[in-house]
Amino acid sequence: MSTALTQKTAAAGAQITLTRCAKSFRTHKALQPLDLQINAGETLALLGPSGCGKTTTLRIIAGLETPDDGGTVMYDGVDVTNVPIERRNVGMVFQSYALFPNMNVLENVKYGLRVRDYSASNANSRASEMLAMMRIEDLAQRRINELSGGQRQRVALARALAPQPRVLLLDEPLAALDARLRDVLRVEIDRLLRSLGITAIYVTHDQSEAMALGDRIAVMNNGVIAQIGTPEEIYFHPADAFVGDFVGTMNSIEHNGKRFTFRPEDIDLVDPTSATFTGTVTQRLFLGDHVQLAVSIDGASSDAPVTIRVRARNSPSLNDKIGLKLQPLTRLARDTH
Amino acid sequence: MLIAQLSDLHIKAGRRKAYGVVDTAAHLETAIAHLLSQPVPPDAVVLTGDLVDHGSREDYGLLRQLLKPLLDQSSTLPCYLLAGNHDETNELREAFPEHGYLRSTTALPHYAVTLGGGALRLIGLNTTIPGQSAGQLNAESLTWLNEQLSSDPTPAIIAMHHPPFATGISHMDEIGLANREAFEALTLSHSHVKRIICGHLHRAIETLFGGVIASSCPSTAHQVVLDLRAGAPDQFIMEPPGYQLHRWDGVRFLTHTVVVGKFNGPYRFRNTRGLID
Repeated sequence: MSTALTQKTAAAGAQITLTRCAKSFRTHKALQPLDLQINAGETLALLGPSGCGKTTTLRIIAGLETPDDGGTVMYDGVDVTNVPIERRNVGMVFQSYALFPNMNVLENVKYGLRVRDYSASNANSRASEMLAMMRIEDLAQRRINELSGGQRQRVALARALAPQPRVLLLDEPLAALDARLRDVLRVEIDRLLRSLGITAIYVTHDQSEAMALGDRIAVMNNGVIAQIGTPEEIYFHPADAFVGDFVGTMNSIEHNGKRFTFRPEDIDLVDPTSATFTGTVTQRLFLGDHVQLAVSIDGASSDAPVTIRVRARNSPSLNDKIGLKLQPLTRLARDTH
Repeated sequence: MLIAQLSDLHIKAGRRKAYGVVDTAAHLETAIAHLLSQPVPPDAVVLTGDLVDHGSREDYGLLRQLLKPLLDQSSTLPCYLLAGNHDETNELREAFPEHGYLRSTTALPHYAVTLGGGALRLIGLNTTIPGQSAGQLNAESLTWLNEQLSSDPTPAIIAMHHPPFATGISHMDEIGLANREAFEALTLSHSHVKRIICGHLHRAIETLFGGVIASSCPSTAHQVVLDLRAGAPDQFIMEPPGYQLHRWDGVRFLTHTVVVGKFNGPYRFRNTRGLID
């Protein structure tokens, strides 16, 4: 792809500010009053389990839902709370693709352009440009039902981006795809978002997607933001057990009256004589580049094993007695009384 | 510019059947899928009333779910709702708070919005009378409409639930629109009113009214029996459901009535040697 293409596609992203945005559905409070600022050009991942409020937040930003009374949504400092979605200049991508099945690929991409002032020839060239950007020029004349899921999602992205939206809103766009395709498209989306400079909000329940794509991640639970920060902050300094557990695996054991909290990769195999803990391997999963072990720690207050990750070569076997030592510079590992 | 009209959905909470017979929820799902499968999708969608059957919050909750495939398109395909005599205007507003046009005037439940980047105006008239099946446009509403039309010369299409004409289907005419003469005079005096589209009748019917074509749309579910005898019984029939596509070319409207169902074909008229004999 040429850089010229990317530059032509670039749209100025809007800064988005949510103030006291809550949402109730009858008696159910889907979202507690929430304040959130998304910087212009930033990609924010909304991460959390189903029912946490992440999709509701996205839909409020889009204008597909309104916040309860008292909440406001601003784009670049302008209150758009009561501006209908079709006037907000947003692009949307859904898990279900939401393409028109009986239009071909090119027509689908052009469809979004009729809300802007594009002449027929400009619309054609703009749509072709979008297809090139998504590397699906060859599919221009294909019907939607002839496409794979990954191809459909590329069309959906091209369609959403064609009218140069100020905000791109993605609701679990990769959730319907198989793991391999997900990885490929994730890289693709990352490339797009970085090159376009568009403000993007990306809803996902998949922590690796959130980590890979988000400039920042807002981890949500029970209708509140449990933590917001860069992927590193979220991963290395989780605000609470929920965040720590949701974003990767978090071990937490009590040993000799101290609590130790650490990630599986934050501990090394050592000789038992110089170990922080000793224990027995109760489960061993060979995962190619590494091995995941469940280790029952001697003297721990609970029987629940900890999960550790070690290099695959010369790794311990099931029922081996092993020594473990917390890495000294592990920022996360902390002991509290 | 293409405006789709869906009408008389009669959704019931819990997907209960209307009158114990009609699976209105399934019919709506089919109609929306059909509409979104059009080779040329519309630029806007208008739903002309009787969206639900009893106007309850639960009815609207299900309606919202069923409309989701359509509403999810609304960043580029806006959708406008209008109440009919089976609706409760306030419940409708509360169920769709993001549809701000439903609250755009404080005193009256009508609205005016622009479509297609300002090429056309859609004026939604709420003709309902709380607790009654018949409809009306009272003096206050007509004053509002007159102000709207006088202040903006953009070509306008008026959407309303109760049609402003009698049909000869006597039980429907009994619950028709009051004050239609004044409405017709007003329409006639504003030449930029280009079309009047209605629901209520569960049949495609059209007539000339106030100098423009006024019509009713088929229901997405059940149709009213065509029986023009005086005093004919009020009955419905499962004739094919449908919707309408109103095409505006900048000068005039043209309407396609779409039949929803599974039909044989399409077949080709011609092969390589010409018309197939």
